[in-house]
Amino acid sequence: MSQALKPAATGGAKPFAQLMPDAAKMHRLSALLTLLLLIVGFSIASQAFFSVNNALTVLLQTSVIGLLGIGMTMVIITGGIDLSVGSVLALSGVATAMSIKAGFPVAPAMAFGVAVGAVCGAINGLIVTRLKIPPFVATLGMMLMARGLALQLTGAAPISRLGEAFGLLGNGALFRVVEMQDNGFPKVVFPGIPYPAILLLLVAIAAAYMLRRRQIGRHIYATGSHEEAARLSGVRVDQIKLYAYVMSGALAGLAGNVLMSRLVTAQPSEGVMYELDAIAAAVIGGASLSGGVGTVSGTMIGAFIIGILRNGLNMAGVSAFIQQIVIGAVVIGAVWIDQIRNRR
Amino acid sequence: MSQTPLVEMIGIEKHFGGVRAVDHVSLDLYPGEVVGVLGHNGAGKSCLMRILAGAMTPNEGEIRVNGTPVRFDDPNDARDAGIETIYQTLALADHLDAPSNLFLGRELKTRFGNLDDARMLKAAREVLARLNPNFKNLSDPVSSLSGGQRQVIAIARAIYFDTKVLIMDEPTAALGPSETAMVADLIRQLQSEGIGILLVSHDMHDVFDLCNRVVVMNKGRLVGAHTIEEVNKDDVLSLIVKGELPADWSARNLEAAQ
Repeated sequence: MSQALKPAATGGAKPFAQLMPDAAKMHRLSALLTLLLLIVGFSIASQAFFSVNNALTVLLQTSVIGLLGIGMTMVIITGGIDLSVGSVLALSGVATAMSIKAGFPVAPAMAFGVAVGAVCGAINGLIVTRLKIPPFVATLGMMLMARGLALQLTGAAPISRLGEAFGLLGNGALFRVVEMQDNGFPKVVFPGIPYPAILLLLVAIAAAYMLRRRQIGRHIYATGSHEEAARLSGVRVDQIKLYAYVMSGALAGLAGNVLMSRLVTAQPSEGVMYELDAIAAAVIGGASLSGGVGTVSGTMIGAFIIGILRNGLNMAGVSAFIQQIVIGAVVIGAVWIDQIRNRR
Repeated sequence: MSQTPLVEMIGIEKHFGGVRAVDHVSLDLYPGEVVGVLGHNGAGKSCLMRILAGAMTPNEGEIRVNGTPVRFDDPNDARDAGIETIYQTLALADHLDAPSNLFLGRELKTRFGNLDDARMLKAAREVLARLNPNFKNLSDPVSSLSGGQRQVIAIARAIYFDTKVLIMDEPTAALGPSETAMVADLIRQLQSEGIGILLVSHDMHDVFDLCNRVVVMNKGRLVGAHTIEEVNKDDVLSLIVKGELPADWSARNLEAAQ
């Protein structure tokens, strides 16, 4: 059975494929299939869906969910959950914007925003490991606190006029080809690969490398697989968990900067319910909420399923309310599949 | 046996609220010695072993390794001192494969600090084949392996590294007859290599077969420490159940000599 399924593993997953149960590979394969079906379905439903421009739009929209999902995956593999990422995203964006307003250049300001996210993650991690409060409750608290702080700091008003440099990360693109036409108007030959998509790719590769090839990644899996066993084997489980929450917080901060940069405005009310998209992305991608299972590549597939679902439903003219219903059903379906998998 | 003991535990106490799980227990272990640790469930023997393994910190008492006082805050500290443990629960991470479990916490790395899975697989194959020649499915997650195979991984993990003291908590509980015999052979072999072994077991036959000495715990206290020649099974059972030797007891080997 295991031999028969080996070729099914995706190319990038080879070194770690041996570590994953076959059920997980099947799950990822079925998720990939779902993604393809969605693309085919939406392409038939809407002419505009299957175009380079729309593909790049999807890439742009998915990058935020993807960044959140990677951090979420790490936390979920340790057997935890991080409900605070949506709020931390907003707080980080606000922190960046406020430091730009205070006169800092864009790059240090963004680094500060990411650091604020990492600090929120560290607080989550310390509450979970030191106070022994379940991750669900700890990060629920942080979700409220980070959102409250973001709203309090800004007086619930968006911070705008942040300058062109701030918008570069969210709106810039690599290999953008623009041709000047005879009539003096520019013609976009190739819209370029958006920076957020490149950032997502880099982060995904780094995270996958960390999880598969580094000791800390192995320990993240061990912690979620059987925490007490990992502890007895000399894995410092508290440090590992702390690390996962810090990564999740920092990536939420990064996602916040990408999002706010795209809008060139810091919205303290941005990112509400994003944590659910991130969790859904991880779970659709095969991460198990009971810990020990999950991959970055799976989460990327999950993020694109959600991104394409949103985009495709928009293009097909489905109302935002119906979209919520559909996404909700997909989330329940994904968790249900997770449950079935664990019951076996 | 006039040399320094490998390990001494002196006046160890562990309380949980008002309950004294381990009540002023002292224990020593010499190189090449197998000491049986016996007692009811809840007598405190697992607790005592966890303290020695660094998985639990005692409220009172001192641990000495080769005569030097040490402090184990973490299982890593005990492992660094050469004390390895095979837990009754095996302590395996179910989603990881055999090599990952074997090297968990002590992963082999390449020059660049990456995990060296190839080298770990090779080493695991060698050590596991020595314990169980039929062990082939090394890349499966251990949750899909048989009880015997899981046990073999736990044993291999404890003896692969530079082990001086081995704590075995019911090592044969999950094993069939042939595997149990294999473990018994292994214990004798390790003993001949000068490793000290603490064997927690309920199986009288194993204990009398393998151990040089027995210590018996009852309600957290150490109620008896005897060389195996001094006692018979009835004496040990009496210690386990009543916490004292039979009223007419005298050392059996001296008795026989008379």
